[in-house]
Amino acid sequence: MGSGRWSTDVYTAADNYRRATGASAFAYSDSGARKAHPALDPKGVTERESRDSDEHPFSTPIAVLFDVTGSMGGVPRVLQTKLPQLLGLLTRKGYATDPHILFGAVGDATCDRVPLQIGQFESDNRMDEDLARIVLEGGGGGQMTESYELAMYFMARHTALDSFEKRGRRGYLFLIGDEMPYPKVNPREVEKFLGERTQPISTEELVVELQRTFDVYYLLPTAAGHGGNRDVLRRWRGLLGQNVLELDDLDAVCETIALTVGLGEGTIDLDAGLDDLVESGSAFSATVGKALAPLQRGGVVRRGTLPIGNAASGNERL
Amino acid sequence: MNDHVAVVDLGYGDAGKGTVVDALCAYSAKRAVLRFNGGAQAAHNVVTEDGRQHTFAQFGSGTLRGVPTHLTRYVVVDPLALAAEAAALGNPFELLTVDGDALLATPWHRAANQRRERARGGDRHGSCGMGVGETMAYAASHPGAPRVSDTLSRTRLRRRLAAVESDLGPAGVPLDDVVDAFRAFGRTVAIVGPTYGERLLREGPCVFEGAQGVLLDEWRGWHPHTTWSTTTFGNVSELCGSFTRIGVVRTYTTRHGAGPFVTEDATLDLPEGHNATGEWQGAFRVGHFDAVAHRYAVEVAGGVDGLAVTHLDVPERCPALRICESYTIDGRPWTRIVPGPPRDLGYQEALTARLHQARPGPLTRPDDWAAAIENLLSAPVEIESYGPGSADKKLLNRIP
Repeated sequence: MGSGRWSTDVYTAADNYRRATGASAFAYSDSGARKAHPALDPKGVTERESRDSDEHPFSTPIAVLFDVTGSMGGVPRVLQTKLPQLLGLLTRKGYATDPHILFGAVGDATCDRVPLQIGQFESDNRMDEDLARIVLEGGGGGQMTESYELAMYFMARHTALDSFEKRGRRGYLFLIGDEMPYPKVNPREVEKFLGERTQPISTEELVVELQRTFDVYYLLPTAAGHGGNRDVLRRWRGLLGQNVLELDDLDAVCETIALTVGLGEGTIDLDAGLDDLVESGSAFSATVGKALAPLQRGGVVRRGTLPIGNAASGNERL
Repeated sequence: MNDHVAVVDLGYGDAGKGTVVDALCAYSAKRAVLRFNGGAQAAHNVVTEDGRQHTFAQFGSGTLRGVPTHLTRYVVVDPLALAAEAAALGNPFELLTVDGDALLATPWHRAANQRRERARGGDRHGSCGMGVGETMAYAASHPGAPRVSDTLSRTRLRRRLAAVESDLGPAGVPLDDVVDAFRAFGRTVAIVGPTYGERLLREGPCVFEGAQGVLLDEWRGWHPHTTWSTTTFGNVSELCGSFTRIGVVRTYTTRHGAGPFVTEDATLDLPEGHNATGEWQGAFRVGHFDAVAHRYAVEVAGGVDGLAVTHLDVPERCPALRICESYTIDGRPWTRIVPGPPRDLGYQEALTARLHQARPGPLTRPDDWAAAIENLLSAPVEIESYGPGSADKKLLNRIP
């Protein structure tokens, strides 16, 4: 044994941590990684679980998967800097009880090396680690299709949600991108990237299956390559109906997701949510209001506490 | 799942756990390496095929292969030493998770440890001077001892560190500077909850990497020349229901620092690559293969499923090297060190006194060292190591 080979003074240590933290937010990708980080590799994964615990007895699973191919330009990097705030936004105003957040990335299985990366459902800052490990492929073909269907296949068949199993409440899945899914799940790609055999399944059928356990939303940032593309919007609206949202300002991504969840949980209505944003000093209420207009459902509005009581959520963002 | 492997050293440490863990990681994909005892005083050398060498202390020995490390609640975490080790490795913090419940070693623990060893004068225990034992001792009597999750809150961290400083005395560094450094640690490493380890174990085969050796175990070693750490499979059994137990031995016995060492022979020509005389530990001592002590280690560890024998290339280069199968004490043979009752330090202390009187019995030199050791320790040799790199290992295909 015998150690102490390295300097262990306080200042060197503090300095090193600072430098390590100041490294690129996509440190893993920027270090030249060309395969999925082991923590995010979906191959052979039985399921990603969102489980209740003593600390978080009423978990609300929220998955955010974004397109990391070339057409998205700098969008993934912006998302990466914004998304860590999501948990705080959700918990501060009680939009969702005990949120569990999973981050992942979607690419193109026909030509990418890393077409699917899926983190874990986390209720603390570990999800940020997953963000940092995402490989930005940056490739992608010019055919305006990405393998969203492969991602949706994983989410439909390889997640286990206590919220659904115990309480019949669906989780939330946000896909952020600017292209269309392929028309069907390709068994060869499933075998290659998930390591299992399956039958071909149309994207339409898959979405129906996925919507059993998740409310699925598609967020299209207008800053992205195909932002606002009519064909892309039409295709997704055909699959998800009104749950397709156009987002003018990417900086508002967290607010948009948080309010969407709040609306889905019935903890706020849109106006109250936008008021919350103004009150908290967010500059994005107009952007978010515009993006969420399609979700203005009217009708039942429950403002205030959820029926499960007033116990403090176990989430604390330190 | 029964494909987890636990690696412990059946001697006084330095048998080659690091190189064995690295070889296991090279042999088949591992989800993570879990550390289950000790702290920054560990020093596990790994040399990869492409020539990278690192002495692992808190990062697991699979790091150079990209295998994540999880520091379980049994590890004493030293944020200052960790920063230095991380920097030496290129800051692979994405490969590290730390249980929030693990204890923190602080500069005050370290200073107290060094003062205590200095006060022992010529009667040193062989501590590494890193404050690991001091941290364990402090926690045993202070329920509010600082833990890893405390670094997430400045207020709580400062309160707890201030208490340590006031209890143990100054360490020549301002409290707030330590708070800053520890907070930076808390922001940089992924601090996880108590169920994270179980999740890793569900997700894929893991390796448990022990530190120190069974003969240094806090309850089973030669008291007081022991480490404040459970070096047997005890902690692993707490963390994991089922695993393969691998005991590591060298073809010769080594000891770093003070304490009984019956088969010590300073005339053996055994140059040591990575272990030098440490300021706090004292000299690196070498001797003949001590089958008596190793059999005792296997017994108190609760048995092993297989052995990893390292330095099999050495006997050829050192013709004087022998195996000691029994001791002699007062002219009579002593063939088995009988384990005492659990947690009986009086018994261990008496053993220490007796071992100081013991001399090696007849020494033998086998033709086939691996076979001889297999026979003496009554467990199959699963890994043979003929050099520092993983390419120098022979895995005999019976382990996961």
